Amino acid sequence: MTFEARNIYKSFNGTEVLKGVSLAMEAGEFVALLGASGSGKTTLLNIIAGLQHADQGQLTLDGQDITRLPAGKRRFGMVFQNYALFRHMSVADNIAFGLRVLPRRERPGRVERREKVSELLDMIGLADLGDRFPQQLSGGQRQRVAMARALAINPQLLLMDEPFSALDAQVRRSLRSSVRALQQKVGVGAIMVTHDQAEAWDLADRVAVMDQGQIVQFDTPDALRNTPATGAVRDLLQGAA
Amino acid sequence: MARIVLISLSFLFVTLVIAVPVAAVFHRAFSEGVATYVANILDEETLLAIRLTVLTALIVLPLNVIFGVAAAWLIARYRFFGRRALLIIIEAPFAISPIVAGLCFLLVYGAYGPVGGALAPYGMQLMFNLTGIVLVSLFVTCPFVVRELLPVLMVTGEDEEKAAITLGANGWHLFRFVILPNISWALVYGVVLTAARAMGEFGAVSVVAGSIRGETMTLPLQIELLYNDYNATGAFAAATVLTALALLTLVLRGILNRFGPKKGHV
Repeated sequence: MTFEARNIYKSFNGTEVLKGVSLAMEAGEFVALLGASGSGKTTLLNIIAGLQHADQGQLTLDGQDITRLPAGKRRFGMVFQNYALFRHMSVADNIAFGLRVLPRRERPGRVERREKVSELLDMIGLADLGDRFPQQLSGGQRQRVAMARALAINPQLLLMDEPFSALDAQVRRSLRSSVRALQQKVGVGAIMVTHDQAEAWDLADRVAVMDQGQIVQFDTPDALRNTPATGAVRDLLQGAA
Repeated sequence: MARIVLISLSFLFVTLVIAVPVAAVFHRAFSEGVATYVANILDEETLLAIRLTVLTALIVLPLNVIFGVAAAWLIARYRFFGRRALLIIIEAPFAISPIVAGLCFLLVYGAYGPVGGALAPYGMQLMFNLTGIVLVSLFVTCPFVVRELLPVLMVTGEDEEKAAITLGANGWHLFRFVILPNISWALVYGVVLTAARAMGEFGAVSVVAGSIRGETMTLPLQIELLYNDYNATGAFAAATVLTALALLTLVLRGILNRFGPKKGHV
């Protein structure tokens, strides 16, 4: 799946939050949107997810225009900053939700759904916790359930909004590699919003540095470090490994 | 020491102001024996009044729930022109005296009002019948469900709803699997309060019901009628039914509080 955003503009109450953002990614690529708060990265992610709509610009998936496609039809798995797990559903029901709400023709049967869920639980290393409820889990476990829930719909693209920000430093580091491994195993393209350059470095194939509503540089971590395009990029990368 | 004084004062207050009067109703109703009490309850007009009161509550409740859930969700999730005004109007019945509300309805929906007058030639009458009683009951109970749901919807569920949307949920899935489970306890509270108020309302209903014996007498109206007829025992017997209905809703609420989700653990 190749995804492209072209010339995206968005304003809120007269303030331009995105000023002509373009981004093209390869199949299976892991892209980080790196920027300070207020740089427009979360707005861009929400527009890609279909939760907000661009004032101008186009989104394409494998060359097909999806700009006006509703969020639910895009099949983009999304991991929210606070995970947004359904608090009154068990872990297994959370993961199965995307399958359960499919139209009747496409919906897998009960047994098939259960198999898919246990497969995903295995994958995230929580095989025994399917019956637990979200509030009985640790932060890191919740994050992994949110990943599994997003992956359950066989997403065309995985979107993550600051997926590690609610975790303490130690858990954060150990989860980084497992997120990357999971993404590569599934072979799905991923876009992650983060303000933490070390995180972007660790995970992403390419990093899009955002500043004041624009992507100021989009390149591999090495290239970014060696030839930062602007002072803003250099500032953001200060101290990067 | 101060604590003991405060506790004693609280108990003294609720005893004098609430417990004794309520107990007195039951005492007075049974003062001429159980047989008289039962005969009074089984009085044809009183039974009709009970029926009408319960019927009114049964019509008002679903309408209020549908409106209340929709309005609370709208106000919690969207910013639109007139949002504050909508909220204030919904809460207005708290501030408006019920008898004034009844008169307002008479002005608009009565035979000489703009709406009532327009419908009159077609043989449709809105006041002095069940329709009128239901309309004013809707007015006085309008804020309860919204008021219970709004705080819950304001602080919870928005991200869950977004997550459900990205996972492909349609409007029905969203309501059934995400919104409803999140608001269910608040909704039950709202329903209990609405039921209690719909059954107990006197002022507004008395204006639009027209006091037709055996026809438009709700339980509160019937109690007043019996009392004014110097049938005190009958009035108190009917009052015990209304009180029992109210106490039932209180007990329900207590049970729900006990078994509902613990605060802060949601």
